[in-house]
Amino acid sequence: MLIRHASRLCRIAAVATIALGAATTTATAGGKFVFANSSAYDTLDPHAIFDVGRVASRINLYDGLMRWFDNPPHLEPWLAEKVDISKDGLTYTFTLRDAKFHDGSPVEASDVVYSIDRILEMKKGAYSLFEGTVAPGSTKAPDAKTVVFTLSKPSAIFLATVPEIHVVNAELVKANEADGDLGTAWLSKNDAGSGSFQLKRYDPAIGWQAARFEDHFFGWDMVDNPLDEIEFRTVVEINSRVLGLMNGDFHGTDGYLPQDQVKRLRTSDHVVVQEEESMRIFYSIIHNARPPMNDINFRKALSYAFDYDGFIDNILSGSVARNPVPLPNNMWGSPMDANGYTLDLEKAKEHLAMVEGDVREITLGALAGYGQTEQAAALLQNGLNKIGVKTKIVAETWPVASGKMRDEEQMYDLLFLWKSTYYADPNNWLGEMYACEQIGARNNSWYCNEEVDKLLSEARVSTDQDLRKANYEKANRLLMEDAAGIFVYNTKWFGPFNKNAKGIRFSPIGNGQEMRWVSME
Amino acid sequence: MRELVLTLNRLLWLVPTLLGLLAITFTISHIIPADPIAFIAGDNASAEQIAALKAKFGVDKPIPVQLWNYVIGVAQGDFGVSLYTQRPIADDLVSRLPATLELAFVSILLSAVIGIPLGVLAAIDRNSWLDHVLRVFTVSGLAIAAFWLAILFQLLFAMELGITPLQGRVDGWGPEPVTGFFLIDSAWTGDWETFRSVAHHMILPAVTLSFPAMATVMRFTRAGVLDAINSNYVDYQNAMGVPRRVVVWRYVLRNALIGTVTQLGLIFGNLIANAVVVEAVFDWPGLGLYAVNSILQSDYNAIMGFTLVMGAVFIIANLLVDISHGLIDPREAG
Repeated sequence: MLIRHASRLCRIAAVATIALGAATTTATAGGKFVFANSSAYDTLDPHAIFDVGRVASRINLYDGLMRWFDNPPHLEPWLAEKVDISKDGLTYTFTLRDAKFHDGSPVEASDVVYSIDRILEMKKGAYSLFEGTVAPGSTKAPDAKTVVFTLSKPSAIFLATVPEIHVVNAELVKANEADGDLGTAWLSKNDAGSGSFQLKRYDPAIGWQAARFEDHFFGWDMVDNPLDEIEFRTVVEINSRVLGLMNGDFHGTDGYLPQDQVKRLRTSDHVVVQEEESMRIFYSIIHNARPPMNDINFRKALSYAFDYDGFIDNILSGSVARNPVPLPNNMWGSPMDANGYTLDLEKAKEHLAMVEGDVREITLGALAGYGQTEQAAALLQNGLNKIGVKTKIVAETWPVASGKMRDEEQMYDLLFLWKSTYYADPNNWLGEMYACEQIGARNNSWYCNEEVDKLLSEARVSTDQDLRKANYEKANRLLMEDAAGIFVYNTKWFGPFNKNAKGIRFSPIGNGQEMRWVSME
Repeated sequence: MRELVLTLNRLLWLVPTLLGLLAITFTISHIIPADPIAFIAGDNASAEQIAALKAKFGVDKPIPVQLWNYVIGVAQGDFGVSLYTQRPIADDLVSRLPATLELAFVSILLSAVIGIPLGVLAAIDRNSWLDHVLRVFTVSGLAIAAFWLAILFQLLFAMELGITPLQGRVDGWGPEPVTGFFLIDSAWTGDWETFRSVAHHMILPAVTLSFPAMATVMRFTRAGVLDAINSNYVDYQNAMGVPRRVVVWRYVLRNALIGTVTQLGLIFGNLIANAVVVEAVFDWPGLGLYAVNSILQSDYNAIMGFTLVMGAVFIIANLLVDISHGLIDPREAG
């Protein structure tokens, strides 16, 4: 009796489930592309955020004067038609194209001026790129089509950072300011851009949806059957993103998935995995100012005690490329002949024996929730254990770690992490990570070497490309010889996309998320 | 009368309870060595940028001052601004709370509707094959991690059989929010297609969430029924020739349910806790996911807001349980 009832209940449940399914089946293909993003879109304000995880809202809803394309990335004028640079390298004059904001009003030079001044006043997002180089109020608009940036000091990287000045509709934002907030509350959930797509709907708990902007200045002739609509949804769980791609719910997700998930995706008939060498290095910061790490022999012992091949070939299944210096291999200024360190415990012992003073227990930092950093720390611990160096691993969340990184006392002895591409210039890595003036801010190694610093300072302001390249190559070698950090690999990007999606253009800065080039077959 | 006094008493205790909860959570979240401002500012931020943001958000002040400012703000209905999103916390909570509550209500309803009858059946046929099968079910319900079960359900029902959606709350973006409860909003506007979509999306997360709760309900109902079934008044009813079905469902169950209903209040707290995991797997845009992100980002105000709201929901749920005792057992009503 009970079995009969149970069986009937199951049948009813199954029928109900199937009926519901039939009623709600939707077609997501055609002109719509759904991207499953691991980071939540907490805000859409392009001047409040600067992370790679949420780059899609910036590059699809907004335009900059310049834009990065492809891999290796090349910089092209975008909203700007041309740029003139003065001989002293201090004045950059941009001439704007004819372009419209999403509300139909023209993009004018005054909007660019408002945008850079807003960034400087908010002190958020990309502010640090312009701090000390562009003074508030120094950018002028002599006419509607001309913007003049007058730098406080020469900067060879200025042009490379210009794409981060996302141009907002000044009038619209000002009209929505409340209590002098520069329109941050309003712009966090609305769109004031001129980008290829126009915001349709936004829910911080779900993501955002945008429609193709027909009047975009670049036009749509270059793409056959461009997307009508894009949707970026927050899907935190890796498994859900992968399964969603496999069953066709999503058409793309981030390209830095664990290798087991990439392998799983490759087995799906619905998915193709696009592979590119990115510009995201994995390394360990070494606290160079604290004993015993302030002794070059101890740093060399650390570098010889790490099993690079074991980590890359076994743990990561060869999915990344060995990168022996702080600059990605595929970035100009990286010395092609640098071999770097290998696992050599005998050499590690030799250097350890030359260390002056006692060697205490070393703290190996890792980022909780980022398995690779913990695996790398464990691997180094194993190597150091064999040469008689005691260690302890401390895995903490990114907010904890990022706070400690800026404090000389609290900083770990070593910390494994990645350095991403914010702009494609060697200064993004070497200048940020090892210039003396960045100590405590972006130089979390407390490393200051007069010779390296001179090379970096010179390269930061010079307009002579050959000199810059030579300086960066030399600085790379010096940093490697100095064992300033443990430099492990450069990431490969494995972008999983629905097999019907065509035209994905990967750039390390945009991570293949600029949707204007994409179509669905 | 006794119920009214009880209700007022509980409501009065709500304030000091929440204050205590707030003080503990505030202290814990602020003494961990995290620096949310450095996190928010990004890894390229300068020291000046971080200092300016700290001053802006008031986190450069001593912790007691921050706590005092926060309590004053909450008393005026201001939960502060999220360090991360810069939106009012109240807005974030209001937009996400209905999703979590809807999931929790449906789950608890499922637990009760399925768990109570099965618990009764297990008790009536004690030590029968059905009782043994249900025992395995309840042990599994309590032992299996919600995260693992959720992924299994996804693989079986969404990927293999293709009869349920994989994730999300609704196809598309859902109905225009009135209450924020999609089932109610879509039914209210007569949008039955959306209603079906919401119900369809609800199946896997609700079943996952209700599985351990159902096991608890079943165990407590079984124990309660066994206890009641051996009472003198049941012997009396049996001796009077009252049909067994009537005895069980009218007399035994009513007494047996008191323990179960008490458990439902406590289970509600567990449901909210488990929702954090289930929401993450099923990409359910509720408060659980918000809480996880807030904790990972050390977004103090968001953590405080979440804790306060969930504390209040938990206390109110238990208050309702106390009131319902009076309805089930007239002796409790005084």
